[in-house]
Amino acid sequence: MVFGGVDIGSTMTKVVIMDGKAAILSAIRGPTGAEHRRLANEVMRAALEQGGLKLDELSYVVATGYGRLNVPFADRQVTELTCHARGVSSLFPNVRTAVDIGGQDAKCMKIKNGKLIDFVMNDKCAAGTGRFLEIIAATLDLKLEEMGEISLKSSRKVHISNMCTIFAQQEVVSRLSEGDRLEDILAGLHDALASRTAALARRLKVEPDVVLTGGVAKNVGIVKAMKDNLGCELLVPEDPLITGAMGAAILAREYRMEAERKGESISRRPRRLEEATFFE
Amino acid sequence: MADKNKGLGKLGEVFHGRSQRVRELKKEGKKIIGYPCAFVPAEIITALGFVPYRIFGDMKESVTEADRALPASFCPVMRSCLDCAFKARDDFVDGIVVAHSCDPQEKTARVWESYIKYPYFHFIDLPGSLRAESLEYFKGQLTDFRKTLESFAGKELSRQTLIAAIQSHNKQRALVREVYELTKPDPPLISGTEILQSVKAVLSLPVEEGNQLLSEVIGEVKVRRNGPEKKPARLLTWTSTLDDYDLMDVLESGANVVMDDSCGGIRPFRVDVEATDDPFDGLARYYLKEVTCARTFKEAVLGETTKDYDKDLEKRFGYLRELVRGWNVNGAIFLLVRYCDPFAFEMPGLRDYFSRLGIPSTYIEYDYTEGSLAPLRTRVEAFLETLG
Repeated sequence: MVFGGVDIGSTMTKVVIMDGKAAILSAIRGPTGAEHRRLANEVMRAALEQGGLKLDELSYVVATGYGRLNVPFADRQVTELTCHARGVSSLFPNVRTAVDIGGQDAKCMKIKNGKLIDFVMNDKCAAGTGRFLEIIAATLDLKLEEMGEISLKSSRKVHISNMCTIFAQQEVVSRLSEGDRLEDILAGLHDALASRTAALARRLKVEPDVVLTGGVAKNVGIVKAMKDNLGCELLVPEDPLITGAMGAAILAREYRMEAERKGESISRRPRRLEEATFFE
Repeated sequence: MADKNKGLGKLGEVFHGRSQRVRELKKEGKKIIGYPCAFVPAEIITALGFVPYRIFGDMKESVTEADRALPASFCPVMRSCLDCAFKARDDFVDGIVVAHSCDPQEKTARVWESYIKYPYFHFIDLPGSLRAESLEYFKGQLTDFRKTLESFAGKELSRQTLIAAIQSHNKQRALVREVYELTKPDPPLISGTEILQSVKAVLSLPVEEGNQLLSEVIGEVKVRRNGPEKKPARLLTWTSTLDDYDLMDVLESGANVVMDDSCGGIRPFRVDVEATDDPFDGLARYYLKEVTCARTFKEAVLGETTKDYDKDLEKRFGYLRELVRGWNVNGAIFLLVRYCDPFAFEMPGLRDYFSRLGIPSTYIEYDYTEGSLAPLRTRVEAFLETLG
């Protein structure tokens, strides 16, 4: 049996297909965009192709993320908090605190024995999310992927005092004109993002093992800044983007097994890969 | 088909057209006094022959007009109330009474008064703490309120009519408490959305009409067959004001909301006004001490120089213990309105108290706009998933 996890995030859509032993058969990510929120099926199609699988081989599909209601071929919707907790635990069994910094939100989760026990989210403010880095990259005419490396070259980070992304942007421009070095400014910016996220995390008790996920975790400058701000070691998965979809796939398997144990049937109308419509 | 002239059928009608009844009464020559907070003694308003009308904000109405008078980073509930006033939503109101419950309310009152000229406006100062001196001062404030309202009414307040008004309003409190008895079974016989409708409906009607409606609703709910479905979680919601149907609906999508501490819920009805020889004593005591709002500083004992954390928690939150036990609550959601400091700062103590009661809890901040419902749904669902 194979199981699907679909994580429709604000910026990226991720699909993971797993087998009964929780081995990943395929993993695909694509931009969510404005149109793509309706097109989870496209990403699923690509995932099936990558795994050499057919749609009707999927025994159970769990959808998560902001767009979880836009997945007509899903069997159940579960919040991304529960899914991330599960996904991260499968990679790091001793995780107690998980921090996910996404494209437009940040969340912190307390985990015990693989289960979500407490959480805190920020999705009303761009500061402390990937969007912050995107805006800064555009301001400095840099590629998003190179910012982290450059920031690590700093020996004297410039303190960015503004809480707000837009005002921080202004501050960056004035710092540059005052002659501050790019790597020092970038180090300060990475520190600003990390301090926002660490403050969020500290609303819960930060206990090891602490794992960092989300697209922003691919930024080495952020990883360092988070370690400095949290004052502890951080574990980062090889692929920090797919932990939500992984968790969803793992839960899909659990729900399927549970239904079988209870003798419940999960027959419903045949799964079709189609766009989400809002009038079904 | 529900009978629209009584019970649950009428409840729906009244709730959706909240100002309809007072507009009718106004045409008949009655005068309407609006008030935006549970700290205003509606009994005095009723006793002098006016119809008290509880003003709520409207989460669904985008704030567009209030920006000329209030800052953006400000209590969104008060912004909404003022916005609706600017849009003449309450143009049937002859007067407004505001109590000094919190800073934003007091400041908004000043702005309100200066922008809109009602025939009557009164501000009641409410002490921040519970002391004997506060009680005496507050009784004096209520006496001042009585004087200005008498002047507007063109008649004096008699002790007898005030006692009768207190009795009617107490009867309403007892009836609302009876409604909450109906959430004790599992599943509850009445839903959180229906209770919200009941509370908002009766607070828009003359007290006797509200009492009649409540009795009918209670009677119907007791015998109906199609009550709420059983859900795995029995929640208590704690908040300043939960006054939006769709918000309650989000909470009830995966749970039964069986108890609350909310102005759109039991808070105005939790206990009765004591019958005292001078009714103003009972009123002052009730409105100062018994309205369980985070704005009140409960630890005010003259001469006490050391603080005991446990005693402090018990003083602040002890009344919740009986509600949690009596209603078999197994989860609590603390709903914080953005910028509301008094409620936000209760979080560490309140969460500690609930963890001592063994009840899982979470707090969710929202900004009292329609757009806040979707993020709220995610957080509520995630919390319910941790209970499951």
